[in-house]
Amino acid sequence: MIPRKPFLDALVTALTPQDVLVSCLGANARWLPHMTVPAPVFALCDSMGAAIPLALGIALTRPERHVVALEGDGSLLMSPNVLATVAAACPSNLTCVLWLNGHYESSGGQMLPGAPVDWGALARASGIGHVATVAEPAALAAALAAARKAAGPALLILPIAFDPAEEIPPYSERPEDITARFRL
Amino acid sequence: MSGAVAIVRGLEDAGVTLAASVPDTWIGKIMAAVRASAKVRAVDVAREEEAVAVACGANLAGGRGAVLIQNAGLLNCGGILAGLVELYRLPCFFIVSLRGDHRDPVYYHAPKGRVTEATLQAWRLPHALADGKGDLAAQVKRGVEFSVESRGPFVLLVSGEDLA
Repeated sequence: MIPRKPFLDALVTALTPQDVLVSCLGANARWLPHMTVPAPVFALCDSMGAAIPLALGIALTRPERHVVALEGDGSLLMSPNVLATVAAACPSNLTCVLWLNGHYESSGGQMLPGAPVDWGALARASGIGHVATVAEPAALAAALAAARKAAGPALLILPIAFDPAEEIPPYSERPEDITARFRL
Repeated sequence: MSGAVAIVRGLEDAGVTLAASVPDTWIGKIMAAVRASAKVRAVDVAREEEAVAVACGANLAGGRGAVLIQNAGLLNCGGILAGLVELYRLPCFFIVSLRGDHRDPVYYHAPKGRVTEATLQAWRLPHALADGKGDLAAQVKRGVEFSVESRGPFVLLVSGEDLA
């Protein structure tokens, strides 16, 4: 299994200035300020489970932008109900990207409850019509392109290796500065 | 004009574009009026914390979001109020049904009624009780404007009597 960073690099490369990126708390949010992201970024440092509904509010308000929401399996396990909420609102300009590593990485790497959740099946059963698993970074651009063309919201599932030795940078932006900078 | 319609008029007057909601009996009456509005989009969510995030997303994107939930749901929202609304300095206007006060005859709401205003005080959430005999639309508009200007939350507590 491939670690996180190559996937994040591939995702950022596939974004355009017309996209909007919303990240849940944790490693992705901590990496993004150190990367050149062509789209506006709103990164959380708290509030597990907030990234997808936050992105939904943006997507419904700005239908001309494509909104990409990054969420971890720990966060989504806490609030899987949001899949039904997204399906009900049915924005075609929202792609959720689910990072699966089976751990609460940002709180010390504790394991998630040991249930073999089938996220693709859960998403489909909740009404998300476009679901795809992306096994390698090289496939991410095409997967995102297909998600953009979907008639409704999409979910891309990225199984990644949990690497307790990954040198994740600390949070480097203050939340109110993130809000002040975020302009569409 | 019913109180529910007046509340939605206030949302419209304040430029609210999106109302995210988990309904109860009372909030459902307001959401029925929202669905009749040409200016405010109704967004049905599964959990109250989602409603907060959806409304904040609308605000970040240049719209104006509002959250319409019961007080039971507001009591669920301590984490996201602290970790999103307060931390990121985001406007977030709430209309919350105040179940369980002396005007609410349903016994099982009483425990929520006893703790709601104390919780709002403890969480330092600016709030007001709606005055159904006054101008509800103006009260709503003032609440929205307060949340926008203060870049934070404001909670307007409504009772079933206010909606008639």
